[in-house]
Amino acid sequence: MPSESAPLDTRIEIVTPENIAFQYRLAGPFRRLPAYLIDVLLRTSILFIAVFAIGLMMGILGQFGLGIGMIMVGWFVLDWFYGGLFEAYWNGQTPGKRLMRIRVVSDEGQPINGVQAVLRNFLRSVDAMPVAFVVPTYLLGLLSASMNNRFQRLGDLAAGTMVIVEEPQRHYGVARVSEPEAIRLAADLPANLAISRSLARALSSYVQRRQAFPWRRRAEIAMHVAEPMRVKLGLPPGTSHDLLLCALYHRAFIADRVNETASSPFAANAPVAAGR
Amino acid sequence: MKVAELLESRRENWRELDRYCMLVESRRARTLGAAATQRFAALYRAACADLALADSYQLPPNTVHYLHQLVGRAHNQLYPSRTFELAAWGEELLYRLPQRLFKDNCLRLAFVVFWGVFLAAMINAYLSPERFPEQVVGKEMLQQMEEMYDKPLQGRDPNQSGVMAGFYVQHNASIGLQCFAAGLLFGVGGLFITISNAAILGTVFGYMATLPARDNFFQFVTAHGPFELTAVVLGAGAGMRLGFALIDTHGWSRGASLRLASREAVPAACFSVILFCLAAVIEAYISPSALPYAVKAAVAVFSSGVLLFYFVMLGYPREGEHATG
Repeated sequence: MPSESAPLDTRIEIVTPENIAFQYRLAGPFRRLPAYLIDVLLRTSILFIAVFAIGLMMGILGQFGLGIGMIMVGWFVLDWFYGGLFEAYWNGQTPGKRLMRIRVVSDEGQPINGVQAVLRNFLRSVDAMPVAFVVPTYLLGLLSASMNNRFQRLGDLAAGTMVIVEEPQRHYGVARVSEPEAIRLAADLPANLAISRSLARALSSYVQRRQAFPWRRRAEIAMHVAEPMRVKLGLPPGTSHDLLLCALYHRAFIADRVNETASSPFAANAPVAAGR
Repeated sequence: MKVAELLESRRENWRELDRYCMLVESRRARTLGAAATQRFAALYRAACADLALADSYQLPPNTVHYLHQLVGRAHNQLYPSRTFELAAWGEELLYRLPQRLFKDNCLRLAFVVFWGVFLAAMINAYLSPERFPEQVVGKEMLQQMEEMYDKPLQGRDPNQSGVMAGFYVQHNASIGLQCFAAGLLFGVGGLFITISNAAILGTVFGYMATLPARDNFFQFVTAHGPFELTAVVLGAGAGMRLGFALIDTHGWSRGASLRLASREAVPAACFSVILFCLAAVIEAYISPSALPYAVKAAVAVFSSGVLLFYFVMLGYPREGEHATG
């Protein structure tokens, strides 16, 4: 069942044309600032290289003035159109954003078009507003982003865009239970055991993370759910809570029947030691 | 079917979709073949279906997060950004923009404010050249202007002209775009910059008109004047369009009103950049040259004619397929 109130998180839900709702993670200032700094660095280096190259060429041709003029025009273009052109042609990413793995999309999750890209970069000069000497402080942009549930600065608000994080994650498959006692315990559980959705979710969260805890902590965490379950299932009082949850998880997610293990019928009935 | 088996059967497809995503990230989707694109789309739809059923499959949270992220990536690759459509630019620039600007109240306001303050400052400076210009502009700038126009214009060597062309583009267009951007601050920022620029320019004009060097000065500014002043007004008007859209929303929410206005304001700002570039070229090559005044005046008249044609002839509302409502 969906929860009543969504948790306070930097995720935003998008409904796609395929009528699927998925979540994007929003990029906050701590991702956008490094991306911006990388872009500034890149722009400065391009300008330096251009100064060298054009200066060399124009020096050879003897047309210094024209060279400097071209550099000034290039400086203007780099200042105002760098972000816009990159974001329009690279699907919402500039080189800095690509390195930080964030992307600009429209605030309904759709890709941005050229006008939006150019506008949000033109309005960057307002976001940089309280300019201390030469250094832009971006306080206005930060203020706007913090008052918004999508971290939109003023340029984003005008263009209708937002910045999301796009980091490829690894999938390691479903967590498996490695303790053979738990698997044997799973065989002891009644065959018509019904596990509700919330319990299943809790079990999978627990099993995913239990490796990080020492065994005493595991017993402490597992006790709250495992004790009522143990009573309900009629298992002996010394049953390890941790292993009981693992067994329930195994039953719910992995397999109904345990593989035939070479264990004596008496071993299956022996109570599992409470100290594990 | 238990979740583990289900995941095993679906994981191969997810991995394949992941590989396609990485392939497309390294080059645009158009370079994939038709068969590859179809396979990509099919895998994407299957992953969407998996995500939709994640709850009923009781997928564990790490798998759900992985699916969200995978579907998001594939979605961004499958629906890439729409770049500039050059064919639409011509229509935008020649048909829709003039007609919008013709009816634009903000542009009219910017025009009136700019020229009103300009003329007021000019007349003031002309009538009291001792006190007023110093208060507005400052002594150093006045002395600088006097020195610049002491001698008649001889024309610069072409090297210097190249430098100045680039400089004018960078300097003026930056100011114009900053004026545009400042308009977002509820229009107040744009008004402030417009008024201050107009006051300074008008004061300088009025002051120079009292000096004997006025012939040189007016010779210099005549040629590029129309384009540059129009570009300033245009940039300011576009910025005020954005700012006033926040206040006068016509029934939309403020965000939606801002977005609608920005869709119209950006072409105007880009057009003002074009005008600034033209003005910079003229200012660098023609204005300081030793051509006779008649030539420069002809250039000014010609550029005014072009602007008049653009704003009035192309902008006059007309019926037919290109009439804007």
